[in-house]
Amino acid sequence: MAGSTIEAALRARLLQLPPSDYAPWFDRGAALALLEREGLPDWRSESWRHTNIRRWYEAVAASPTASGNGVARETAFVTAPKGIHVERFSDASAAELVAEYGGLASVPRSAPLAAINAVLLGAGAVVRATGEHFAEPVYIGTAPAEFQRLLVVVENGASLQLIEEPASFTHRIVEIVVGAGSRLTHWRRQAAAENRECSLVSVHIEADGDYRLAQSSQGADLRRNDVQVALAGKSAQATLHGAWRLDGSEHLDNQIAVVHGEGEGLSRQIYRGVAADRSRAILNGRIHIAPGADATDASLTSKNLLTSDSAQVFAKPELEIHASDVKCSHGATVGALDAMSVHYLRSRGIDEETVRALLTNGFLREAIADAEGAQQLSLLR
Amino acid sequence: MSLLRIENLHVDVAGQAILNGLNLTIGAGEVHAVMGPNGSGKSTLANALAGRPGYAVSAGSFSLDGVDLAPCSPEERARLGLFLAFQYPVEIPGVSNMELLKAALDAQAKHNGQEEPAAVDFIKRVRQTAERLGLNVDFLKRGVNEGFSGGEKKRNEILQMLLLQPRLAILDETDSGLDIDALQVVADGINAFRAANNAVLLVTHYQRLLNYVVPDQVHVLTSGKVVRSGDRSLALELEERGYGWLDN
Repeated sequence: MAGSTIEAALRARLLQLPPSDYAPWFDRGAALALLEREGLPDWRSESWRHTNIRRWYEAVAASPTASGNGVARETAFVTAPKGIHVERFSDASAAELVAEYGGLASVPRSAPLAAINAVLLGAGAVVRATGEHFAEPVYIGTAPAEFQRLLVVVENGASLQLIEEPASFTHRIVEIVVGAGSRLTHWRRQAAAENRECSLVSVHIEADGDYRLAQSSQGADLRRNDVQVALAGKSAQATLHGAWRLDGSEHLDNQIAVVHGEGEGLSRQIYRGVAADRSRAILNGRIHIAPGADATDASLTSKNLLTSDSAQVFAKPELEIHASDVKCSHGATVGALDAMSVHYLRSRGIDEETVRALLTNGFLREAIADAEGAQQLSLLR
Repeated sequence: MSLLRIENLHVDVAGQAILNGLNLTIGAGEVHAVMGPNGSGKSTLANALAGRPGYAVSAGSFSLDGVDLAPCSPEERARLGLFLAFQYPVEIPGVSNMELLKAALDAQAKHNGQEEPAAVDFIKRVRQTAERLGLNVDFLKRGVNEGFSGGEKKRNEILQMLLLQPRLAILDETDSGLDIDALQVVADGINAFRAANNAVLLVTHYQRLLNYVVPDQVHVLTSGKVVRSGDRSLALELEERGYGWLDN
């Protein structure tokens, strides 16, 4: 690779940084080795076809930690109810939990970005809920660093709600382990922003575990969400609801994969998006059913609305099935508001702008209507 | 002054002339029925009056209370007091019946320079009207016409009409697909609506509805024109002799 490209320059700079003084216990050896060996993906990578990753590299290069300025003093950005174990990632005691659970939810495709995160990490937390039902949610707010990492463990039959509130970062990793018979409901609210950010949510579900994601997003200058959910135990369940709405020149790239590793699992993916003005939305939804994951029941639907001629939606469902006795379905549509519905509502005296807002909200609501606590997702206007 | 006045109306749909010089005048307090064979232009008349896109007025005029409607958007026509009960009410998942009614009544109040109706009064009124039409109040929370039976959709149109209290209600084959009980409920709704300060235009294929809602005048359409007008006995005669009788 030519030394003059931004990815080559960034890689060289990352490899030359002095060892981080943030969470010194955290082993960055593998991350550095990966950067050394494989470099950084560029626009030729299939996974970055619709999102110009160089624009994100520019944001990375501009961050203080990448300039060797060290990290800001870490402040708490996770709020949790009583009875839940929360530690800063920088505390040496977090090392134990990370050693036990970290890496269970690993995503090779996202490895280069995760490696950058490891090198530039400046804030993080480890959350563990065990054995009981927690009525109050855990909130993840704004952290004092551009590169963030969270590990959330729910185990021994615990059930927990996790809320990611709108926050600014350049890269965030949320690693989630849902233990046997445990349950996590995960809400993500992503407000309109002008930054360039990538995030990785990587979920590992054990037998009879239940993970539910309800994500509502507006766009950013560049926003990329990688979500990988592994049903790693028998009869695990995953339900992913996603609604997004983009205006102006916002960009949102959702790369979502559900991997059935064991049999009798159930996964549902329901996505709806609205792209207006000159915005651009990407949804790559993948279902992978591994050998031996027999009697899996998986589905994915993606419906998209284009409300302007200049907006773009790329919706691609993918299926890969290596097991037998599998129920699997997918569908993706891209369209405009139904003209007859518009006319019907206008004929009741409602002005066209209100009609379009009603129909657009209604369309999005369909994606999260069944999501638990859908009222928390306040994207509807 | 007449409430609705249609003069020499010509309407094209998809480049084809469907209405060819239609004249019709309805006064306040009157119920008129427009009948005619399939393809005579009955539904085109209803849709053109409501401003459905694709229904192009190529000549003539129509006015409500003296206001020329042709240049008005569908929502402006509605606010001026025109209501169309659709032949095929649209299903809109995600937008509840309550939302539709609230937005419609708010728009009407704004047009009339009134305050938006208070939530409590609004809900009470909607519930009472729904109950009167035999519509389960749970329906109100569901998507507009979503999963409604044919009869429920038609009753929902009557519900909207009763709440909006238009000057002119055009009912486009509201009777079609109704069983006898539903027809009775719908007819009761229309009769309750009838008043000295409004008017009703019933577009229908059959005489049946007119047993329940007795019209002041009946007009027969053929090839996009009114070819005969009369009182209620004209409808009965049509039922007996068929539309072919008019050709002779």
